[in-house]
Amino acid sequence: MNKPAEAVRSPASTAPLEIRFGQVGLAQVRIRTTDPGAILDELTGRVATAPQFFERTAVCLDLSALEKEPDVAEVRAVMDAVRRAGMLAVGLAHGTAAVDALARALDVPVLTYFRPQNRPPPVLQPADPQELAVPTLMHHTPVRSGQRVYARHRDLVVTSTVGAGAEVIADGCVHVYGAVRGRAVAGARGDVTARVFCQEFYAELVSVAGVYRVFETIPAELAGKPVQAWLSGDDLHVARIGS
Amino acid sequence: MTEIIVVTSGKGGVGKTTTSASLACGIARRGKRVAVIDFDIGLRNLDLIMGCERRVVYDFVNVIQGDCTLKQALIKDKRIDTLYVLAASQTRDKDALTQEGVRRVLDELTADGFDYIICDSPAGIEKGAHLAMYFADRAVVVVNPEVSSVRDSDRILGLLASKTLRAEQGNGGVKEHLLLTRYSPKRVASGEMMSVDDVKEILGLDVIGVVPESQDVLTASNAGTPVILNEQSDAAQAYEDAVARLLGESKPLRFIEEPKKGFFARMFGG
Repeated sequence: MNKPAEAVRSPASTAPLEIRFGQVGLAQVRIRTTDPGAILDELTGRVATAPQFFERTAVCLDLSALEKEPDVAEVRAVMDAVRRAGMLAVGLAHGTAAVDALARALDVPVLTYFRPQNRPPPVLQPADPQELAVPTLMHHTPVRSGQRVYARHRDLVVTSTVGAGAEVIADGCVHVYGAVRGRAVAGARGDVTARVFCQEFYAELVSVAGVYRVFETIPAELAGKPVQAWLSGDDLHVARIGS
Repeated sequence: MTEIIVVTSGKGGVGKTTTSASLACGIARRGKRVAVIDFDIGLRNLDLIMGCERRVVYDFVNVIQGDCTLKQALIKDKRIDTLYVLAASQTRDKDALTQEGVRRVLDELTADGFDYIICDSPAGIEKGAHLAMYFADRAVVVVNPEVSSVRDSDRILGLLASKTLRAEQGNGGVKEHLLLTRYSPKRVASGEMMSVDDVKEILGLDVIGVVPESQDVLTASNAGTPVILNEQSDAAQAYEDAVARLLGESKPLRFIEEPKKGFFARMFGG
């Protein structure tokens, strides 16, 4: 998303400021409720799973999934909940005229979605550029018991171990370059082509697109070995890599 | 520079207080000024292990609530004159601790020129344990070679990496060390107990000490003499080694035998 910014330069370089237009990465939070408690709980959990990724992240609030239009007080409470969870709500996502009015009342900007048709036609890929731009979620420290790491709309790479009672979850594939003793869940939103890969297999549970297998005892041919799991029809296959 | 070390584990009964007392004595015996604080409000134990239970007048909660000064509450050890104990309150509960209050006490100890502050954490992951670890620079995670203790330690390590001041500031986090207690090389050899290497592998951390299972620990607790002061004991020598490693010396691990086959290999036949 980081394109070189186009600058509108003032004639003299001694001017007190310079205005630049450019694109910056922004997390979008689509809320389905205006209950600040529920939002605070959910976001605090998310922030805790990847503090280095979420903390003080700029957030654009998307109100389009709400059943009815919220009022100013409700949106203010939601923005406050976002802030208490450790992220910073900087504006509202473009939507109806009511959103424009809310933004004015709250003194925050309305942020327009980047629209693919505004760009020069893509050369090769017909895929949505927003999806292409989402990088893999990288996690380099051990995922300890009780922790949960979730990669939304993308793959997850863990370069350390996943402890018993820990969960690694991705909407795409899960790759763990270490031992997995906890749970590994790929295709959390139903992508049946997603897979789980791990270096040393001791997992409690493996799931792809909702089809899961619990390992009460680990088969000897899998224990400690590099393993992948994938869906074939409705069957979840778990097998050694390279054999 | 004052260093704050939390002794924690998640699970109860693994030897946190025994370890806190022995590490505090061991470090203080080397001439450092050490304060050891009992964070287990309502279940006061450290004073018993340290043998100063009849000299507790004021406690940690009294200091936090301003009923007395820190100097009045610090109990000077009778054996080592650079060692001080701050006892927990037996009549309150954990809600009497506040983050601001704990910070004030730690700041005051730092200003007073203590070299080390040892925080003896309560079991669990609730407020008392959280506050004991929150301001720590280093953590000694006490673990028994047994699956539930290892899992609880993993959980605590996760909290150390996220719910501490150092983690929040992002400046390197809390330095973590593992200390195995109640280790029985014989039972490891016969496959009944996890080995040092099994625990190290699961938790992905280096071991700062292995304390063998020993009758002397119980005897020492009942006598109010930290076990490290009983020079004849294996456990004392193991704690002395751990103190040396904590202060940066390198020493080979003692009181462990090389297991013939690892725990997981036996479990899974790999």
